Amino acid sequence: MVKRVSFPNVLLVIFRIYLAAVFMAAFVPNLNPARVSGMINRSASLFTNAISYSNIGSNFVRALDRGWVTSQTLFVTYIGALVCGLAIVLIAAAFCLCFGNNRMRRLGLIFSSAASLVGFAGASLLLTAYNLFSNTSNPDRVEPLFPMGIWVFFGLFALTLLLSAALWFTLPKADKNEKYELAPKYRLFLMLLPFLVLVALFSYLPLMGWRYAFYDYRAGFPLTWDNFVGFKWFTYLVNNPATRANIMRVMTNTFAMSGLGLAFSWLPLAFAVFLSEMRSNKYKRVVQTFTTIPNFISWVLVYSVAFAIFSTEGFLNWALMNLGLIEEGANHLISSSNMWIKMFAWGTWKGLGWGAIIYLASISSIDPMLYEAATVDGAGRFSKMWHVTVPGLLPTFFVLLLLSISNILNNGLEQYLAFQNPLNKGSIEVLDLYIYNLGLGNTGGGSSIPIATLIGILKSVISVTLLFCANSASKFLRGETII
Amino acid sequence: MKERKDSLYLKRTISDLAFTTINGLFFTVFTLLCIFPIYYLFINTISENRLVTAGKINLYPIGIHFQNYTALLNANELINSAYISVLRTVLGTVFMVLTSALVGYLVTQNKLLGRKVIYRAIVITMYFNAGLIPWFLNINMLGLTNNFWGYIIPALVQPFNIILVKTYIESLPKELEESAFIDGAGYLVVFGRIILPLCKPILATIAVFGAVGHWNSFIDSIILMGGEPKLYTLQHRLYIYLNTASNIGKIIQGGGQLSEADIASALSNRVISLTVAMVTMIPILMVYPFMQRFFQKGLMLGAVKG
Repeated sequence: MVKRVSFPNVLLVIFRIYLAAVFMAAFVPNLNPARVSGMINRSASLFTNAISYSNIGSNFVRALDRGWVTSQTLFVTYIGALVCGLAIVLIAAAFCLCFGNNRMRRLGLIFSSAASLVGFAGASLLLTAYNLFSNTSNPDRVEPLFPMGIWVFFGLFALTLLLSAALWFTLPKADKNEKYELAPKYRLFLMLLPFLVLVALFSYLPLMGWRYAFYDYRAGFPLTWDNFVGFKWFTYLVNNPATRANIMRVMTNTFAMSGLGLAFSWLPLAFAVFLSEMRSNKYKRVVQTFTTIPNFISWVLVYSVAFAIFSTEGFLNWALMNLGLIEEGANHLISSSNMWIKMFAWGTWKGLGWGAIIYLASISSIDPMLYEAATVDGAGRFSKMWHVTVPGLLPTFFVLLLLSISNILNNGLEQYLAFQNPLNKGSIEVLDLYIYNLGLGNTGGGSSIPIATLIGILKSVISVTLLFCANSASKFLRGETII
Repeated sequence: MKERKDSLYLKRTISDLAFTTINGLFFTVFTLLCIFPIYYLFINTISENRLVTAGKINLYPIGIHFQNYTALLNANELINSAYISVLRTVLGTVFMVLTSALVGYLVTQNKLLGRKVIYRAIVITMYFNAGLIPWFLNINMLGLTNNFWGYIIPALVQPFNIILVKTYIESLPKELEESAFIDGAGYLVVFGRIILPLCKPILATIAVFGAVGHWNSFIDSIILMGGEPKLYTLQHRLYIYLNTASNIGKIIQGGGQLSEADIASALSNRVISLTVAMVTMIPILMVYPFMQRFFQKGLMLGAVKG
């Protein structure tokens, strides 16, 4: 089937893209038509303002008390945002309907025209709201601000109306007895669309945040050309001795802890091999049940376990004093000695039993014939373990090892955040924790968000590269990819 | 000849026995190591508080009472946090499972526009992320910080779970779906009436792991809800209690002054932290027996490919 390229069809494609663009404009904070005052959150979009009243009103408590603005003014602003939001919803509906047959497209055009009219009403309300704001008795504190977004959205809605009208007269009319219909491919796509929007919003849109690494960004201020600094933070990272020393320390911690994990990545395998040598199934099940529990409690709970056992009043001191090894209890929890080994030990405590399950499952799928053949050949218990069981588990081990190599920079945040305290900070800060402390913790200075973003970018890029290397290595060595 | 065989057999059994003993001993010790801390936590929450505070409860409880647990009922902030934790776990899991099921189903449909591109675009998000700071600034921009939905909406689409559901649906016989289409059913009807019931086992698996994930997560509470104590989860509260230097016993005793006698029998920081930890742990320990049969499938979480 060849598609006809005709003026209405091209216009229709343009119209669909246009509607999608209008819809997305509602999520751009810079185009927010509802920001009629400087007091309204700069980072809020039309969408945010339309769904939550508190986002508009939260900063006006004082202004309301003093009578600088009336609650009606705020109400008009909110209703304006809400009506604009409604128009956007209609636009979305029209966008979906435009994929249908002639009859459905017509309905879509009615929707889009209605959306423009509703949108005009909303934008006018916001215009009124601006006028109400600018009549305030205290402009310094209320900061009336004319948002360009009002004109932008007026324009967008006008163009919607124009395009709808043009399509209405050019598209072929629907048959009288034609039913509403949508081709399966579009129907499926539109069902999936809301989830694609979620993926775009939460997985792809954050990539836009990488631009913070190129600005002198401070929380609450906008990104403008004035604070664009180009590659300043990149050179700062290399040239500033204090930062460089910090990065070196953090990288040492990161590699030490990841390295310990890699060096002992055979532990779950050994655990599974030896456990499977136990004869009693009941015993095996009991061991498996209880050693897996720690995997399902959070790191905060692991920390509380550590808190119970290693603090001054804890079990460890009691045990050591009873054995006569020490005279007086000490707080082992906050001390910074042997932090790498301690963190590794907790990781093992939490993860060993769980990590072994995958190997236990693989052992049960090893062909029993292999063991019988080995027995016939006179193999003892240990040689069967070493020559039959272990080789059967190696492919799984290999995949997991490659994955942990590619995750060498990703230690995760939870464990280290839970165990962090001012004393051990120096030796516990891995890359993830460092980024957190720098960008979101209390210790950050003014420049910390761009630097933390920059380090995050470098980390992401290196991790992805490592993953692809691991994947190619696996492809080369085993003929199978891991991702 | 016979003699030699016997001695060989004996030698083998002795080495076998020695191996089994050492092996068994090791696993018994490690198993104890895994559960003793939890037991220790528990006996410290039900023993006489005076002894607990002094660190005298180590192997068995003394003076069993449950007042620590009933005392927690008076702490409004804890009740509130428990409510938030339960709500986010229930809503977050239900919505996540439904999302995974529907998306997993839709990406199996050959007729879907741009199926391969879409599927890859979803799966690839498992392997890269923009980083913590851009993620936070993005969610802040979308107005989901200090907002309960910040727990739910960003966690809806889980590529892992979508892959699992997709693989599972592909293993089902195609004929079921096709006959329904011939009978005139639409996609959503087929999904609701045929696919969803058939997918119960895999959906139960992702529900269990999703629920544990929601219950256990505290980073999002710390990062996203910092300005709104009403939205702190139980794990976040526990984190604060464990890190706070002040005596949180005061919170429960209505902020009054602590007398000497109070301090002696008081709910010390230690007792309260341990009790809160126990309360936070109990739901996990309670669902744990039911979870075990999902382990094997849950492991596939790490093993499947896009």
